[in-house]
Amino acid sequence: MPYEISPSPVAPTFTSRLWTVGTSVAISLVVMIGLAFVHPELAVWLIGGAVLIAVSAWLLNMPSAPEPTEPVLEGGQVDLQPSLIGGDLLDRVFEALDDPVLIVSGGEPDDIAGRRIIMANHAARELMRIQRQGALLVQVIREPGVLEAVDEALFGGVSRTTDYTTGGQRDRRWRAWTRPLEQAPGADPLALVILRDETDARRTEMMRVDFLANASHELRTPLASLSGFIETLKGHARDDAVARDRFLDIMAAQADRMTRLVADLLSLSRIELNEHIPPSGRVDLDRAAADVVDAVSVLVKEKAISVVLDQGEARASINGDRDEIVQVVQNLLDNAVKYSSPGGVVEITVVSDLGFDEAGAARMAGATRLPLVSPDRASGVFYAAVTVRDHGPGMAREHLPRLTERFYRVEGQKSGERLGTGLGLAIVKHIVNRHQGGLLVESAPGMGAAFTAWFPMVVERRDVRTTPLAD
Amino acid sequence: MNQHTVKAYGDELNQITAEIARMGGLAEAQVADAIDSVARRDVALARAVVERDLKLDALHRDVEKKAIRLIALRQPVASDLRRTLGAMKIATDLERTGDLAKNIAKRALILADSEPMQPLTRSIERMGRLVSTRLRDVLDAYTASELDRAVAVWQTDDEVDEHYNALFRELLTYMMGDPRTIGACTHLLFMAKNLERIGDHATNIAETVHYEITGEDIVGERPRAQPTAEDSDPTPNISTHTH
Repeated sequence: MPYEISPSPVAPTFTSRLWTVGTSVAISLVVMIGLAFVHPELAVWLIGGAVLIAVSAWLLNMPSAPEPTEPVLEGGQVDLQPSLIGGDLLDRVFEALDDPVLIVSGGEPDDIAGRRIIMANHAARELMRIQRQGALLVQVIREPGVLEAVDEALFGGVSRTTDYTTGGQRDRRWRAWTRPLEQAPGADPLALVILRDETDARRTEMMRVDFLANASHELRTPLASLSGFIETLKGHARDDAVARDRFLDIMAAQADRMTRLVADLLSLSRIELNEHIPPSGRVDLDRAAADVVDAVSVLVKEKAISVVLDQGEARASINGDRDEIVQVVQNLLDNAVKYSSPGGVVEITVVSDLGFDEAGAARMAGATRLPLVSPDRASGVFYAAVTVRDHGPGMAREHLPRLTERFYRVEGQKSGERLGTGLGLAIVKHIVNRHQGGLLVESAPGMGAAFTAWFPMVVERRDVRTTPLAD
Repeated sequence: MNQHTVKAYGDELNQITAEIARMGGLAEAQVADAIDSVARRDVALARAVVERDLKLDALHRDVEKKAIRLIALRQPVASDLRRTLGAMKIATDLERTGDLAKNIAKRALILADSEPMQPLTRSIERMGRLVSTRLRDVLDAYTASELDRAVAVWQTDDEVDEHYNALFRELLTYMMGDPRTIGACTHLLFMAKNLERIGDHATNIAETVHYEITGEDIVGERPRAQPTAEDSDPTPNISTHTH
């Protein structure tokens, strides 16, 4: 952190604040106790006030001091214990809160650099990567609406709620509560900021709209053809046995297509609803790949395509939902088989223990490479990747970015008699996104295509093997 | 006395950094809202974007004034000087970003009068989201001074270009299919171009952040087109569609 070593940014250190507050509180305590001696009739009130000041000063300053090493039992002061435990408890509650909570100090109204974070709980520090006390608020929250609301809380004493989204591929929707905190007049104003993740609620709402629009549009086509044939069968083809059989075959195929479409749409919607919930299970990617290869062997034999599975000896254990991982491999393999000509070869490769850059590296020389999903870079995480490579017609560069769109089809390509639903890769994309993995496509016209899905591996705790629990 | 001078100097530098972060937040919101106004055909939001651009301009002037003042009065050197100059450069990029967002919002106002074109506005939205992500990432890199993230943004510039080229072809197909949509499609085309340029500004900011932190320019080739792409370099769109 070059800025940390540069001497110029001078953040107000917390210790100095503690010092001034501590001194003034001490003086006021001495004055009050002194007065209590002078006017014994007011002693109860004065000492009560002194205790109040002492406790509030302690509460305001202690929570962020890292070592609460107050000798609690010293002098056997039993009546002090509850407040000490209380303060510590509040501190721990604050830390344990699931929603990010910040306390912001004001400074000068017209100086944006005056808004500093004086306290942040664990969730907030994790989310915003706040490294030190006194960090500038604007460095962690840039959203103008929230900044305005904080200003209003600090200088206008107004409570507000603000909704905002943090953009990006996996965008999240937040609701920010801003509340003024009472302070003695003349002191630096304080405001409380609480954030809550509202992504799921919003996502559900959006899903419904999208789902309806897409599903109705795609279902209309087979439905139109069905009703057309029914009309023909009711009319002049009523007594033509040959035509009737042919039409019924087509109708059955269309009904079948509709069924597949509905099944895919349902599974897509289910996956999307879970997209922001990290998967909890554990899957062996190599086994999943082998299972899928077994499952498609019948279909593959029909088309005289050979599927070659190449996997290392090492177990490729990843964090994931087994059904979903199988679906990823299944969809990729289905596509590869679909676009292979009879007699062709489809290769599946499973590789484990890859670094971030290795996982996203090119696998097909001379082809265009495009990441369709790229996860956030994480250090210390290894990835297992499954690559499905076909030798079909391949795709031109301009189609690649749009492959994961729902119902997108590469123009001029015949996918054979078994039409896809146009949702396969969209499903793959959402599953990969949920697993915080990556998806990569490489292709060039005439060269076939290679799809690589890579997922973070289970972190093996090899260094703590001393305990038998590790297995 | 000496202590005081140093403290004020540090405060001034911090202030400039904070102003840039605030400008960044505003520019991000402008881009996001402009895209939303296109996607949702939200006239009120588009107007709000156009109006808020004034605020961004004011912030830009303010940052520049503060930076010039700092240079004149404090004569910063080394990393402080880079920080000050970097702030001026980033402020200009952000101001331009705001202008482009305003332009998108203005076109959204015009588009709101014509028939909705769902698939096309979806594509714009998708591209816009990609560009917003880049802008967010690079501003995160700036505020946290994380070199890796800035370089990552700089390296993935071709993703936006891919989207732009795909969208260009899509729009051409639409216009050839139905000449009545040419007016609206042209606006969408300019929006796509504006988004692409916002992406370029994000790349510029990444370069500035790199310079600010290391004192050196980013060296090495940006991974533009892949080796086999000679047959389809980034500007053949017009020639391929003239038949």
